[in-house]
Amino acid sequence: MKPRDSISTRYILNDLIKNKGVNLALLVILVLSAFLMATGSMVMERLVGSVNQLFDEAKPPHFLQMHKGEYDQAALDRFAAEHPEIDAWVVEEMLGFDSAALAWERPSTGENGDLADSLIDNLFVTQNPDFDFLIDQDGEIPRPSAGEAYVPVAYEQRFELAIGDELRVKTAEGFQELTIAGFVRDSQMASSLSSATRFLVSEADFEALSEAGGGAPEIIVEYRLTDASLVSDFQRAYESDEALPKNGQAVTYQMIRVINAFSDGLVAMALMFVSLLLIAISLLNARFVIRGTLEDEVREIGAMKAIGLPNKSISGLYLSKYRAMTFLACVAGGLLAIVATNLLTRTVQVNYAEAPLGLSTFLVPVLALALVYVFVVGICRRVFKKIRKIQVVNALVHGSTLDDRQTARRAKRQAKRVRRTSLAAFRGTNVNRRLAWLDLRAESAQWILIPVVFFLASVLMTLPMNLLSTFESPKFVTYLGAQESDVRVDLQFSEDVDTVREDVLAAMRQDERLTAVRTYANVLYEAEGEDGWEIFRVEVGDYSDGSVAFTEGGRPESGQIAVSVLNADKYELSPGDDFTIRLDGASTTLTVSGVYQDVTSGGYTAKMEGEVTAGAAAYVFYADSAEGEDPAAIAADYGDEFPSAASIPMREYVTQTLSYVTDAFRSAAVLSFVFGIGVAALITSLFLKLRLTSDRQKMGMLSAVGFSTSEIIAQVRGKTLFAVAVGTVLGPVFAATGGESVVGSFIALAGLGIADLAFIPNPLLVYLVYPLALISAGYLTALALTARLRGADKSAWLRG
Amino acid sequence: MPQTDQVTLECESLTKTYYSTDPPTQVLNGIDLAVKRGEFLVVMGASGSGKSSLLYSISGMDRPTGGNVTLEGRELTSMKDPEVSRVRLTSMGFIFQQAYFLSNLNIQDNILLPALKATPKDKAGVVARVDALMERFGIEHVKRHGITQVSGGQLQRASICRALAGEPTILFADEPTGALNSSMTAEVMDALSDVHSGGTTLVMVTHDPACAARADRIVYLKDGLLVDSRELGAWTKEDAKRREDEVFAWLSEKGF
Ligand SMILES: Nc1ncnc2c1ncn2[C@@H]1O[C@H](COP(=O)(O)OP(=O)(O)O)[C@@H](O)[C@H]1O
Ligand SMILES: [Mg+2]
Repeated sequence: MKPRDSISTRYILNDLIKNKGVNLALLVILVLSAFLMATGSMVMERLVGSVNQLFDEAKPPHFLQMHKGEYDQAALDRFAAEHPEIDAWVVEEMLGFDSAALAWERPSTGENGDLADSLIDNLFVTQNPDFDFLIDQDGEIPRPSAGEAYVPVAYEQRFELAIGDELRVKTAEGFQELTIAGFVRDSQMASSLSSATRFLVSEADFEALSEAGGGAPEIIVEYRLTDASLVSDFQRAYESDEALPKNGQAVTYQMIRVINAFSDGLVAMALMFVSLLLIAISLLNARFVIRGTLEDEVREIGAMKAIGLPNKSISGLYLSKYRAMTFLACVAGGLLAIVATNLLTRTVQVNYAEAPLGLSTFLVPVLALALVYVFVVGICRRVFKKIRKIQVVNALVHGSTLDDRQTARRAKRQAKRVRRTSLAAFRGTNVNRRLAWLDLRAESAQWILIPVVFFLASVLMTLPMNLLSTFESPKFVTYLGAQESDVRVDLQFSEDVDTVREDVLAAMRQDERLTAVRTYANVLYEAEGEDGWEIFRVEVGDYSDGSVAFTEGGRPESGQIAVSVLNADKYELSPGDDFTIRLDGASTTLTVSGVYQDVTSGGYTAKMEGEVTAGAAAYVFYADSAEGEDPAAIAADYGDEFPSAASIPMREYVTQTLSYVTDAFRSAAVLSFVFGIGVAALITSLFLKLRLTSDRQKMGMLSAVGFSTSEIIAQVRGKTLFAVAVGTVLGPVFAATGGESVVGSFIALAGLGIADLAFIPNPLLVYLVYPLALISAGYLTALALTARLRGADKSAWLRG
Repeated sequence: MPQTDQVTLECESLTKTYYSTDPPTQVLNGIDLAVKRGEFLVVMGASGSGKSSLLYSISGMDRPTGGNVTLEGRELTSMKDPEVSRVRLTSMGFIFQQAYFLSNLNIQDNILLPALKATPKDKAGVVARVDALMERFGIEHVKRHGITQVSGGQLQRASICRALAGEPTILFADEPTGALNSSMTAEVMDALSDVHSGGTTLVMVTHDPACAARADRIVYLKDGLLVDSRELGAWTKEDAKRREDEVFAWLSEKGF
């Protein structure tokens, strides 16, 4: 060991023993920061890896178009022949069954149940020949034999299904039994935000199911291109071809990727966000501790300078401790992160694929931790630059870290201050409180740590909570382009859709369990895009009840149209602009009334006032349930009565489809609540500990001139309470303003059609419970730490 | 005003042990002491003999381990901390070797602090009294100065002003000249003599025989016990030299 190293080691050991509490607190916060940073980056890496792996195996389509009803096979063949960029294409036939029509039984034990709790569509398909494969858990492409079925992995977990269980499908002709031969992952529909999921059966069973009836036939036209970057041109070409089937949703490769990454990437993003705030807190804290150390050890530093040690060696000596601590924190945080990542990515691995461990698996978290290390040590090094300014004489004689110029400047500042602040001019009668206030002002450079930390902690706690309450709010569906309602009935295109519409509407209007029935029709207009006319989806209905929230402008009236955020971008529209659309060759020019956010149909929609009763591609009805009625039961009744209608209890549906995201936010909210309170309390105790030590003589003096211990304690508590409250109050204010736009722009970046995320906070929690919890944490810490002052011999304070 | 026969401060079998050390430090081993109203008492003794501890214990800053202390008939040792603090605020004054002041207040505010706290409603009266005190001790012209802008002697005189601002019954001074050079020492001692002649009871710890010579009585502390005392009678400037010699001789006997 080199001599300097051994000095460093000895110094570190001595310091660790001497300042156990302070060092431990710093270490804990550093470990937490490193842990969260490593976990966030590892989850991100695993997620991207898993998605890539699944995409490699399953080869999802680059463009797909859903459709219900008749279609022109010849037109599809012609289109394919005209487009050499198509590598492969397929028309996948699907049979949709209601969850209630699916039941299972375990022959060995007789256990059974049904899947009725699931609200998403269950589509039965056969394995595709060339691409868009459903993949089993070994990464293989399963081809079921007759009598076998492969069930989505999500259902395996949710309903605890096992290989060998019987799956019973209720068709119009009775039950058809299949044996579960395995579980499949679906690249198209893996996302927890997906509204449908696919079951794999053999050709023979598919034929049997479709002959038996009871399922809703649907197709997806899927294309795989020679080059994925051609997708947008390709989509435009497809949509401008009149003869092609297109009454359902169109989805591109990018959208599949984004949706996949969005739902699960949010967790990783939340973790990294929490980590960044914690790093900020630990840096502030380190700076405070370092400054304290320099003040405490200024004479030693002076002595080292006096014997001729260069500044670099001295700061190196001190820095060695922070280097060691940060390094230790990074290693410990990294190790803990491995455990946490395994827990957090378990569902990701099941739904997508087990990503192989590669170089990046190690490199990404190591790089993230290296950044943390470099950043923290770099900041510490900067604080230690102060050592250069310390002058031997001032340090040794006056115990001051300041050089002559700084000393003079400080004296001047102080002289100016004491001329102004004056007890003599003080009007109040509470001298104790006045003194605390003057103290706080004079020592604001130190005390600022507390409000800043509490501000950060409060932001840390509030933002995830606001996200959670926003996604959980019944109003959130309006962000998704749907209306706030209890029951929603969808009628997709079919031969007799207009008659069914009359029947459903009549039934709903007569139904006493329902109130406020609203009807909307989806009409496929055309609009002129860059390459000519293309499909333009317009929802026609009555918006006078103000059920849609507009980010710009207002609701459409007659002769007007409102467009979704993505359409507004695409066609460069804003309120007041004229916009021409056409239907069956007849054009109309409308004025844009407003812009709203929407994630349905890929986010490209529009709304017009009016009523369309025939010829639409689809119809949607919304209704509220009367007091005391169960929306789920009502929805189920309509599903039974009108098999071609998809009827869902809206709130439950949204809760279910968003449950994965809200679960992630809930974990993030709980985690950041615990960390926020814990870190805030930890730093308060650290700060007060150091503060009380350096204030000993002052407290001794106050005691000598007649201040009681209670009054001295009250001063400290009052100052803490004030500092804590200021920081805490600013937190939610920022979260509601700046924080909202930061988070909102992240979500806007995802390109889902949410341009302007307005939080729907839980006011009681965010504006009352959280601040109170934080303030209590700070105040209780102050109570605990100052309680020790009672009963002390005050002379000990004066003796230093 | 000369000293009287009435006792103002009295302690009986006072003991003090500090338990913060291992083993505990037994500092005072049973002190019996009565200070008369208007008396100027000096406590002497070797360094570490417990002089400061005695002052802290009889002023209620520290809680004695045993025995009791009464001031003007009120037993301090049975009072709770807020009450003792109130007594310190209204009836006692403290002067230390090191001048402890709040750096964010100017000299005047520092002096005002305890008096204003004692009678916040009578601010005008307190300010007038403090201004008069500063004038009397010659620091009126630095009243708006910060505590780092004045000399050690001025600071110590400011301590005296602060101690007197509340019109205390008794004044404690713990080596008030210990950190001062000889001219400043004379400055401060003249001020204290002045205070004493104004009628204030004074208990002072000092190492300096010249300062001790100004006292009415000297007690000698050794190993936590009062082992000797000497009455000197009232001090006069003319008599100063002779008394100094007398104190010196007395101290030499004890190997001081
Ligand atoms: N708070 C304390 N804790 C432990 N020991 C103390 C404390 N205060 C004083 N002492 C010890 O008590 C003894 C007497 O101290 P002190 O009263 O300051 O003596 P003097 O003022 O006569 O020099 C010394 O040995 C000192 O170390
Ligand atoms: Mg002493």
